[in-house]
Parts: sequence; structure tokens; C-alpha cells
Amino acid sequence: MAGGMDLGDGKGPKKPLDATINLVPFIDLMAVTISFLIMTAVWTQIGRLQVSGGGGDGDPTPEKDDKTVPVTLLLSEKDLRLTVGTSTFDPIPIVRDAKQQIDLTRLTERFKDVKEKLGPDQTAITVQTEDAVRYEDLVHVIDECIGDGFPSVSVAPVST
Amino acid sequence: MAIETPGKRFGKRLRKSKVFGHGHAAHKSTNADLLITPLVDMFVIIVLFLIANFSATGEILNMTKDIQLPTATHVDELELAPVIMISNDDIIINGAAVARVADLSRDDYVTIPALEEKLREQKKETEELHALANDGTAFKGVVNIQGNKDIPFRIIKRVMFSCQGGGYGNINFAVLRGSTGPGGEKTASLP
Repeated sequence: MAGGMDLGDGKGPKKPLDATINLVPFIDLMAVTISFLIMTAVWTQIGRLQVSGGGGDGDPTPEKDDKTVPVTLLLSEKDLRLTVGTSTFDPIPIVRDAKQQIDLTRLTERFKDVKEKLGPDQTAITVQTEDAVRYEDLVHVIDECIGDGFPSVSVAPVST
Repeated sequence: MAIETPGKRFGKRLRKSKVFGHGHAAHKSTNADLLITPLVDMFVIIVLFLIANFSATGEILNMTKDIQLPTATHVDELELAPVIMISNDDIIINGAAVARVADLSRDDYVTIPALEEKLREQKKETEELHALANDGTAFKGVVNIQGNKDIPFRIIKRVMFSCQGGGYGNINFAVLRGSTGPGGEKTASLP
């Protein structure tokens, strides 16, 4: 029969058209993969905040660019004092929210003003911290500095 | 009397019962087909979820109940480096306690001599290994500080000075990765 569908000649047994995929090896593979991934899974998402310390004989700090101005943030238990070059801003009193975290809204606004004045090249900031400040508050302030465009954070103690 | 297969034999009254006897239900096939499609679907979803969460670096930090990490949003991936653990009681490096926090509050040193010494030893070992391997990579001096969130800065400061004295100038604070919520509040992935 030319040009038509082959309907068979009626001889011999008809082959079934449905193909059955054997799913057992696939399920085995899945089970092994799931077991491996569960055993090697890391459930706690941990990151890092890179800081450089003041003083010591660690890595040499890069040479200071003449275009940038020293920006210093003094962190105490009571307030935050931002100093840009020789000018000092009004202290920001520390206000805590319900979770006992420092509210840094005013600091963020001040950082925006500083970035507008100094430009995007200003990336370095020094966080001078008093001895009694909690580590959590320090990390919170460093995180805010990085988020507001100061990724090169140095942590230094308050010079007495 | 004919031999019958062992099993329960009910009386005449119950022989034609659908429940107990050989009523209509007894003619149903006892083979039940399991639907594999939902099972395979579930497996695929689980595998995709686990692969999305997969971390090639593995567990760098040893999480303990004594140390509750602070939360931060703008963080980078943690590097494989020596870990200094600071709990409320002890300062531990690579599993060995080097100082007690209570003792540190009493003296007026700038550094922690035992920690500094340990770091110097570690730096020397690392540099010797790199020299033996002749891989040409410079010592980066990276160290991870895993500190409890309630530790005062006077302890952190001494640890940092010790790190720099021991030749580890690239200091990383280990933090829990948080996400900024719609109201600006930060939430950690795990407490």
C-alpha cells in the first residue's frame, strides 16, 4: 500500500505500542542522592564581616589616597559621634528597639549626606569603640557602615 | 470430607457475607498498584531543594550553645581559616582553650599572650607547609572570630590585637546571615 499508513499484513503477533520505563533505578538514585545531600547539608547560614584592626604588625594597610577624608565613628554605650575630617556632627543618642537593637536610621541619613559630599571614592571608615560596648552592637554598626557605602571598615579602640 | 486450605472458616450463615464470607468482595483482585508518580515528584522536589541549599565549603564553624552569633545583612562567604571562639567563659582556638574571659577582665595587657603564641605557631606551620608544597601562594593571614554577641569590646579588642601580633591581620567576624524585612528589621535565618 503506497502512501498510506502501514497497518501490518495481519501476520505475526502485534507489538505493543506502549513502552514502560523502569522507574526503580531512578527511585534508587533519588534515594541515594537525598541521603547524601541531607548528610552534607549546612543548615545554618553563616557569613563574615571583614574588618581591619588598628595597630599591630598584620598586613600592611594600603596607602591612603589624597582624595579621601578620614571618617571616624565613635561608638559608645550612650551615643554615636561621626567625624568627617575636622568637622564633627552632633552626637546621635542611642535608641533601642523592642529587640534591643540600636536604631540606626539617623546614622544612615547622616551617611547619605557624607557620601553625597565626599563622593563614591570615600569607602573607608574607622569605628572607634568603647570598651563596654557589646559585640552585637559593634557588628550591627559595622553592618550598617558596609550597607551605606563604607566597605573598608577599621575597628579601633578609643584612644585614651 | 474434602481437604480445605487452612484459615478461618465461617459458618453457613456467614459464608455468603460480603465481609466474612466469599461474597461479591471476595472476587476482587488482591493486587494493588502503587502510584509511583507522586513519589517521584516528591523526590525531585526534595533533591532540588537540597541542591539549592548545598554548600561546598561545609561546616567551617563549630556551633555551640555557649556562643550566640550576632546577625548581619551585608556579609560575604566565610573562608576556611583558623577560628577563635569567644564564649562568656573561655577563649578557644582550634578546639583548645587558651584563656579565661574572667581572668582577662582583671589584667591590663593589650594582647592575650597565649593566643598570640598559638597564632604565631600556626602561622609558622602554615608557611612551612606552603613552602614544602611550593605552591607559590602568599600567606594571607585570615582568621575568623566566632564571638558571643554579649561579649564586651574590651575582650574583642584584645583578641584582635593578639591576631595582629600573631601575624593574622585579615580579621573576619563570623555572623549569622540575616535578611532585611519589609519594615527594615533584620531577621536571622536561624536563632
